[in-house]
Amino acid sequence: MAVETERPAAPPERPVAAARPRPKREREEELLVWPDLVFVEFISAVLFTLTFMLLSVFINAPLLNRANTDITPNPSKAPWYFLNLQELLLHMDKAWAGVILPIMFLGFLAVIPYLDRSSEKQGVWFGTKYSARIALVAALYAIVVTWGLVLFDDGERSKFEYATRWIPSCDMNAESGQPEAHQFPPCLVDTAAGHQGIVRASVDLQGPPQGRFMFSVGSLDWPADVDHIPWPFNDNKVGCWSFKNIHGWCGEHFNLAGTFAQQIFPLSTIAFLTVLIIYILFRIGWVRTTRDVMIVMFTGALSAYLTLTIVMSFFRGPGQDLILPTDIKVDCGTLPSPPGCP
Amino acid sequence: MAVTEEPGKPRNWQERLQILQDRLYDRLFHNFVWRSIFRSGYPNTPRSQMLVVATNVFLHLHPTRIHRTHVKITHTYCLGGLTFFMFIVLTVTGVLLMFYYVPSTETAYQDIAALHTNVKFGLLMRNLHRWTAHAMVILVFLHMMRVFYTGAYKPPREFNWVVGVTLLFLTLFLSFTGYLLPWDQLAIWAITVGHGIAGSAPYLGDEGQFVLFGGFEIGQPALIRFYTLHVLALPLLAAIMMAVHFWRIRRDGGMARPL
Repeated sequence: MAVETERPAAPPERPVAAARPRPKREREEELLVWPDLVFVEFISAVLFTLTFMLLSVFINAPLLNRANTDITPNPSKAPWYFLNLQELLLHMDKAWAGVILPIMFLGFLAVIPYLDRSSEKQGVWFGTKYSARIALVAALYAIVVTWGLVLFDDGERSKFEYATRWIPSCDMNAESGQPEAHQFPPCLVDTAAGHQGIVRASVDLQGPPQGRFMFSVGSLDWPADVDHIPWPFNDNKVGCWSFKNIHGWCGEHFNLAGTFAQQIFPLSTIAFLTVLIIYILFRIGWVRTTRDVMIVMFTGALSAYLTLTIVMSFFRGPGQDLILPTDIKVDCGTLPSPPGCP
Repeated sequence: MAVTEEPGKPRNWQERLQILQDRLYDRLFHNFVWRSIFRSGYPNTPRSQMLVVATNVFLHLHPTRIHRTHVKITHTYCLGGLTFFMFIVLTVTGVLLMFYYVPSTETAYQDIAALHTNVKFGLLMRNLHRWTAHAMVILVFLHMMRVFYTGAYKPPREFNWVVGVTLLFLTLFLSFTGYLLPWDQLAIWAITVGHGIAGSAPYLGDEGQFVLFGGFEIGQPALIRFYTLHVLALPLLAAIMMAVHFWRIRRDGGMARPL
């Protein structure tokens, strides 16, 4: 028509690069939830239902004898997901192992996104360049280090005593059965009384010092001379002050050996080993962003958690001694009797 | 010449069968009772498929569309969804177990033992409850690892990660409170270990122990507390947190993907 012919000619189209396909629009990359996603969800639900039905038909949930507070099983163990805490309790102060460190772990998990503020590299598995190998190294490191520490701290009480055999034994007084005073070089007391790790020192102020690791500098003995240090102003003249179980200066003493063995040494070991692996990976250039640091810490923490769970589940026998899984005796005091019982 | 099939005159048995099928289908799905439940037929157009997701009470937590990569099984391995599914299975089997269980130290053990011997499918329900509970704990951890290693916690999804950590804690606590209920040797001594751990909390150990266990040893007060937490308080709390968790996925722009 005439009107159309009067229009100015359209500007020539820009040449299109033939090799470059048009980027797909957002909407074209999307699928409908029904049926594409609902189908996947339905199939996985059906598969899991079938699997657990079959599992439940063939494997029964355990039911032992009726609860009896007079019969303590040896060892008694927590539910499997808390066994790591129970394992940790053997190696350090119970408040730290049982309460503070788990809360710190959950707290660390919760603040991860507030530490790692970058929003890049999300939505793909192992987004940064080295993250997969960082995760692998951190996992292996945590497993090896955790096992090493468990074996080291367990010392003579287990079948794994070679972990500490390079430390000489202390000279014992034949008459009293107690270790001789003034031991040098540093040595280990061989004892079978209770679970005593290598740096373990009793926080119980009654009785003789029970630390396994002993040494002397001049006439000063570790731990005998440092587990009963009076607080300053310990004369009780200003009166006793206490709230709940926070005690004031009521004639109490400071157990340096116990504090060191139960808190300072284990906690600084954890902190040092964490910083060490991050520093090493940083120096060789694998750890470059906060995200990478988070990967190291998250992977390491989870691997240590898992390793401690495995140690407590499969390697702890009566008295929480470290033994091989094959040596764990079945408890025959249950009904129905497990296989291998008369 | 317009050829129209003569209706009503089946020529062979296949056609008779077809007519029978059609009639059956009509009777089943085109009657007023069915139509009162499902107002529209099977959603077979994109428009009706989006509508069914948006308007169905069970499906409406989903978005109506989803990015192609998120449907791939290797992107999420369905871990979060399966965790939720475990929660549903646990609710169903848990309700059935509650019919037979009285939280009293006198009767609890016999009730559980009766599930093994006297109750039809009682053992199956108990086994399902137990194994799916373990599976839920494992799946929560795996889901957390998936979210972490795909960087899906990054802004703007920080808070939903925190909600997820809360759900991890609730899952562990739910499992722990359920552990005592059979009142057998396994239960009481495992909880005794937890009791000792709770008592070792600095400054609040004794109080914390007393609040959670109702005393300084495991007895009737502990059992009724664990029961109430296990069947009522914690599932309710977990359900609320899950609703927030799922809703936040959509509010934060769907599942994470490269910017």
